[in-house]
Amino acid sequence: MEQPRRITDSFPRRLRRRGAGRPPGRLKDKKDKKDKDQDKVQVKVRDCSRSPSQPAPDPALLEMLRRFDLSWEYGPCTGITRLQRWERAQELGLSPPGPIRDALLEHRDNPDVTYRWVWDGMGW
Amino acid sequence: MFSEQAAPMAQGLLAPPSAKPPTFPRVPVLGYLDCSQPFQLGERSFSRQYAHIYAVRLAGMRPGLERCARSQWGNDIVLRKLSELQAGEKCCVVGTLFKAMQLQPSILQEISEEHNLVPQPPLPKYIQPSDELILEDELQRIKLEGAIDVQRLVTGTILAVYGSEQDDGRFLVEDHCFANLPPPLPWNGPSSDRFVLLASGLGLGSVSGEALLSTQLLVDVVTGQLGAEGEQSCAAHIIRVILAGNLLSQNTQSRDTINKAKYLTKKTQAASVEAVKMLDEILLQLCTSVPVDVMPGEFDPTNYTLPQQPLHRCMLPLASAYTTLRLVTNPYQANLDGVRFLGTSGQNISDIFKYSSMDNYLEILEWTLQAGHISPTAPDTLGCYPFYKSDPFILTECPHVYFCGNAPHFESKLLQGKEGQRVLLVTVPDFSATQTACLVNLRDLTCQPITFSGFEADNED
Repeated sequence: MEQPRRITDSFPRRLRRRGAGRPPGRLKDKKDKKDKDQDKVQVKVRDCSRSPSQPAPDPALLEMLRRFDLSWEYGPCTGITRLQRWERAQELGLSPPGPIRDALLEHRDNPDVTYRWVWDGMGW
Repeated sequence: MFSEQAAPMAQGLLAPPSAKPPTFPRVPVLGYLDCSQPFQLGERSFSRQYAHIYAVRLAGMRPGLERCARSQWGNDIVLRKLSELQAGEKCCVVGTLFKAMQLQPSILQEISEEHNLVPQPPLPKYIQPSDELILEDELQRIKLEGAIDVQRLVTGTILAVYGSEQDDGRFLVEDHCFANLPPPLPWNGPSSDRFVLLASGLGLGSVSGEALLSTQLLVDVVTGQLGAEGEQSCAAHIIRVILAGNLLSQNTQSRDTINKAKYLTKKTQAASVEAVKMLDEILLQLCTSVPVDVMPGEFDPTNYTLPQQPLHRCMLPLASAYTTLRLVTNPYQANLDGVRFLGTSGQNISDIFKYSSMDNYLEILEWTLQAGHISPTAPDTLGCYPFYKSDPFILTECPHVYFCGNAPHFESKLLQGKEGQRVLLVTVPDFSATQTACLVNLRDLTCQPITFSGFEADNED
């Protein structure tokens, strides 16, 4: 059932992160709106039925990305996307490996690739 | 100086009015460039932890510190990370300082039920002889002892220590060094006298109205409505006014209404509403005559964390109609006529004051310049936005004028650096307490206080 249009629909809806008490009806609206980074991570944790249209990424690629996350030279990995972390390392002159960036840009739509792996229940 | 030029022409006030009164056009603004883009936050996300800001601070300042260490202790010193230390080997380590203080207010201790502690009242200083210094780098931490002043340093400073690791696991420091003054900027200052007025702590909305007369006198001097022709011609050389924070008084922050019942507080207005209206009127008078930069402070209606964002122009409807009003961030950086100004409203300095043995605001200001960072205690004890990409508080270029607002007294010093840096350090006093503002001469980087005292309580005339 479509919601009635409002004048404010011309402004982008900004979703605020809620805690565990988020009303369940909200999840249905997520597909129409433009998501922000954090909300995409929330969706990834709570609603796993997304994403089947994209091909599953290579496990070797995921392993390489996990190693990139855990390498201490490039700083903390929580709370920022892998691409942001790569670019930050580049700007600080730490010379992060180039293939990581190519892989990140190639699989830009896949949340498993772009974001740091999330363990159960704790989305950043 | 300002007052010397003014004095001889006071006779003009006793002469009969002339047919054509002399006019003094204000000197035109030659160049203004706002350089505070790093402090302007666009979209803010608080879902990050503060580990990022410490990591970029260390990574960003490490190359400069390694260079300083080599120049101070020789090119052949060994630079090691904490994980590579060998006992007894003399080496140099670069890391972030952490000061473990017993009295540091800790929210976890306060809400912990097993301690049954009453919340600690705010103290002027939280230092104790039992404080310890710990150096942290990316992976490990180590306790420091030796030739290092534990009381003086604060958490968050990046420094290089030279010494060796002892058998008991502590690092014996023989010498330490900071990032030192950042590289100098070229000097393009004006060739004639131009003044910038620095004032802070107007404290509007306070219970006592003593400072209001002084504020009005300040506005009158700047707009040229006070004094004889001499003073007016001098005031025409003031090219800008910078209000460095605390435009509203601390009294406007009272939160009594939160504890009262709703029916009692329904019709009451927040004290800051009246105060902001007063501020708007004062700024209107100033803006009609001179460009004004308004920085927010600790008690102003903007965000709490550093960098504070500019006040919103909808709060100042009368004054925002003028383009001479600029609402800027705290900290603020700008090029005025080729002279680089950098300053804060004083929260960084007063926070370091609480956690260090340094007592003099000017000394702390100079120390932050030597340490290469505007506010090392953020985010530990001072609220800070969780940056992740870069730390905008690291000093990359040496400003020509470095000021902090809301200091207890006025002090200024011209600092000469080893690489030819010339910095004028100014502690702008709290106007509501001292009724003093500062005039900085851009031509020769000198600073002069100007006091507007009204009638004193014990003056019997």
